[in-house]
Amino acid sequence: MTVTDYFLPRSLSEALDLLGARGPSLMVMAGGTVAMPLVNDGISLPTQVMGLRHAGLDELREEDGELYIGATVTLTRLLRQQALPVLSEAARNTASWSVRNMATVGGNLFTPPPGGDIAVALLALDTSVALTGPAGTRLIPLGAFYTGFMTNALQDGELLTGLRVPRVAGDTAFIKFGRKASNTPSVVTVAVRVARHDGTVTDARIALGAAGPHPLRASAAERVLAGSALGPEAIEAAAAVAAEESQPFSDGVASEWYRRKMIRLFVARALDRIWQGGEDR
Amino acid sequence: MASVIVNFELCGRDVEVLVQPMTTLQSVLRSQLGYTATKEGCRQGGCGSCTVLVDGEPMLSCLLPVEDVAGRRVVTLEGITPIDGLHPIQEAFLESNGFQCGYCTPGMVMVAKALLDHDPRPSREAIAGAISGNLCRCTGYQPIIDAIEKAADRLSGSGEQTGGR
Ligand SMILES: Cc1cc2nc3c(=O)[nH]c(=O)nc-3n(C[C@H](O)[C@H](O)[C@H](O)COP(=O)(O)OP(=O)(O)OC[C@H]3O[C@@H](n4cnc5c(N)ncnc54)[C@H](O)[C@@H]3O)c2cc1C
Ligand code: FES
Ligand code: FES
Repeated sequence: MTVTDYFLPRSLSEALDLLGARGPSLMVMAGGTVAMPLVNDGISLPTQVMGLRHAGLDELREEDGELYIGATVTLTRLLRQQALPVLSEAARNTASWSVRNMATVGGNLFTPPPGGDIAVALLALDTSVALTGPAGTRLIPLGAFYTGFMTNALQDGELLTGLRVPRVAGDTAFIKFGRKASNTPSVVTVAVRVARHDGTVTDARIALGAAGPHPLRASAAERVLAGSALGPEAIEAAAAVAAEESQPFSDGVASEWYRRKMIRLFVARALDRIWQGGEDR
Repeated sequence: MASVIVNFELCGRDVEVLVQPMTTLQSVLRSQLGYTATKEGCRQGGCGSCTVLVDGEPMLSCLLPVEDVAGRRVVTLEGITPIDGLHPIQEAFLESNGFQCGYCTPGMVMVAKALLDHDPRPSREAIAGAISGNLCRCTGYQPIIDAIEKAADRLSGSGEQTGGR
C-alpha cells in the first residue's frame, strides 16, 4: 500500500482546494469501481487520493423539465429515478447490484470501452456535463467531453460536478448486447432517440458504446434518418451507415468483425422498436 | 505515512481501527478484526465473495476504503448468524445444497439478505438478477436460487425477525 494520504472532502470547495494545492498527482476517485481494482492490483500506485463520496455532489433533481444528475449519484439511484426511463434501463444493464450501489454516473464517463454504458444513453439525450474549477463551472456537450481513448476535456484543477439532461423530443430505445443476460461487458450498446412529425423524422440520435475509443454518436447514420419516413428501408440504411462509420475493436469480449455486425443488427433493432411503437408519440 | 483512526458500526458493535490510509474494508475485516466470513476472491469487484451490507445495501468490501464507511453500519455474515444455529437463509442454503466449497456462500447470503429485506417475495428472475455479481464456480446457480426462494417462503411466512451477534 503506497497511499500516504486519502482525503474525503466534505464539500466541493474543499475538494477543489485540495485539487488546486496537490495538483494532478492527486488521484480522484468517486465510487472506486474502476479505480480500486487498479490500485488493488498495483497497476495504479497513487500516493495521494481524494474520494468524492462525501463531497456533496450527489444531488438528483428535476427542474424545468431538465434532470440534473450530480456526478456522484450512484447507478442504483439512477435506476430508481422515474423521470427518464431510458436512464433506468441503462443502469439496469450496467454491472451488478453491489457495483451499482457504489459506482457513480460521473465515473461512468471516465470508464474505458467496452464500459461507459450510461454515457451511451446520456449521449442520445443531448446531455451536457458541468466541469468545475477554481474559475467556476463550464457546461459542455457530452460529445465534446470525449477527446480520445481515455482522454477528455477535463482540465487540471477541474472536477466533473454534474450532468444536465435537457427535456428532449422523441422516443427512445436502449439496448445493451453482451454475452450473458446481465452483468456483462458490452459487445455493443445502442441508445437511439427519434423525433417525428407526420411520420417524418425531424431529429435523430444514434449513440453507440463499445464501437470506438469512447461512447460516440453515429452522426452520418443520424443524417440518413433525418427527413426520412421511419420504416424498414430508412432503418436498414441508417444501421448500415452506423456500422460503417463506427470504429469497433477486438478484445476478450468480441472481435472487431463481430462487433461491426452486431452494431448493424442492434441499431436496426433499436430503431425498429421505436417504429413498432407507433407514430408521433 | 501516518495511520488514521476510523470508527464504524460492525454487526451492531462500535469498532475503532487504526489503519494505513485507504486500506480496504475487506482487509480490515479479515486481517485486523478476524471477521473472515467475508472472503477475498478477486479484489477486482468481479466475484462478489467480499459482499457486505453497508447501511443495509450490498457493497463490495474489496473496493471500499474503510474511511468511506466511517460512521456507517456494516453487517457481515457474522452479524446475521445467531450464536446458536443458523439464520433461515443459511438453513435454506444447507437444505437446498446451495453450496459445495462454500467460498461464494457468505457473499451470496449477504446479497440474499439484502434482497429479501427489500423484496420479501422476489421472483426467480429477480433473485438471479440480484446475485448476478456473485460468482459460484462449483455449485451451479439453480440450487442457490432454490435456496433463496425457500428462505423467502420461510421468512415471509413466519415474519420472523433475525438476530445476530
Ligand atoms: C464487476 C464490474 C462490472 C462492471 N460492469 C460495467 C458495465 O456493465 N458497464 C459499464 O459501463 N461499466 C461497468 N463497470 C465499470 C464501472 O463500475 C462504471 O463505469 C462506474 O460507473 C464507474 O464509476 P465509479 O464512480 O466507480 O468510478 P471511479 O473508479 O471512482 O472513477 C474512475 C476514474 O474516473 C475519474 N473520475 C470519476 N469521477 C470523477 C469526477 N467527478 N471528477 C473528475 N474525475 C472523476 C477519476 O480519474 C477516477 O480515477 C463495471 C465495474 C465492475 C467492477
Ligand atoms: S473480492 Fe471483492 S468482488 Fe471479488
Ligand atoms: S460453492 Fe464453491 S464457489 Fe460457490
